[in-house]
Amino acid sequence: MHIFLLCGLVLCSILAILATDLLKAAISLAGASIFLAMTFFELGAAYAGVFEISVVAGLITVLFIATISLTKGEGEVKERRFGRYLLPVFVVGMAVADFLVMRQFLGALPALPAAPEAADLGTVLWSQRTFDLIGQIAVLLAGVFCVLALFRKRSEDE
Amino acid sequence: MSDTWIINMAFVALLVAIGLYALLTMKNLIRMLIGIEIVSKGILLALIATGYEKNNILTSQSLAISFIVVEVCVLATALAVIINIHRHTKTLDIEQLTNLKG
Repeated sequence: MHIFLLCGLVLCSILAILATDLLKAAISLAGASIFLAMTFFELGAAYAGVFEISVVAGLITVLFIATISLTKGEGEVKERRFGRYLLPVFVVGMAVADFLVMRQFLGALPALPAAPEAADLGTVLWSQRTFDLIGQIAVLLAGVFCVLALFRKRSEDE
Repeated sequence: MSDTWIINMAFVALLVAIGLYALLTMKNLIRMLIGIEIVSKGILLALIATGYEKNNILTSQSLAISFIVVEVCVLATALAVIINIHRHTKTLDIEQLTNLKG
């Protein structure tokens, strides 16, 4: 089951890259997110799976589709013809690099800090990763201000 | 290391390869952003798979949630920039964006 989910994830990702229509590419990306979320559920990471489905498969797909509809029409981009033939080369190259390089690091993976006994995600998130939460709030605020600045109404003398 | 982790890491490498391919060969800005998304999916899979392998899924989940929040902010800003670029230049072709070229 796990392998099938991962194969579905990779297939949807390849479809998202190779689809000629951008709308189909965005929907394939949402499909890839759903496969990834199901993989998370299978690995026991239910909260990350819920975030992946609601935020990445939902919100980001809506953002992509809105952008595609706002930029549609003029200025269609033609991709390079030889580009499609390079994908297998990339994949094989990365697999070889993975096999040759990453194998040496498999045993040297450092341990993560241990979670408290019988803790839930809330405890870990609020007590151990408090600094991450502050960072997240700062990043969210920065994102909101960026989008507001980019879409602000221009005055007449600009 | 278990077989599950090694299989997961092989798929992480595949996802990163697909995303890098999109970033290096595509000319459309939206497609390049889709490539970034695919690389980030690979990284998320690596985080969760490593947490599962190390029996510490809670810490890896909290890191994954942080990563997703940052990813959404980056993407929203990038899409806003793309819309502005399209308003000014009427194209999404990265090779046509030569205004700052010296």
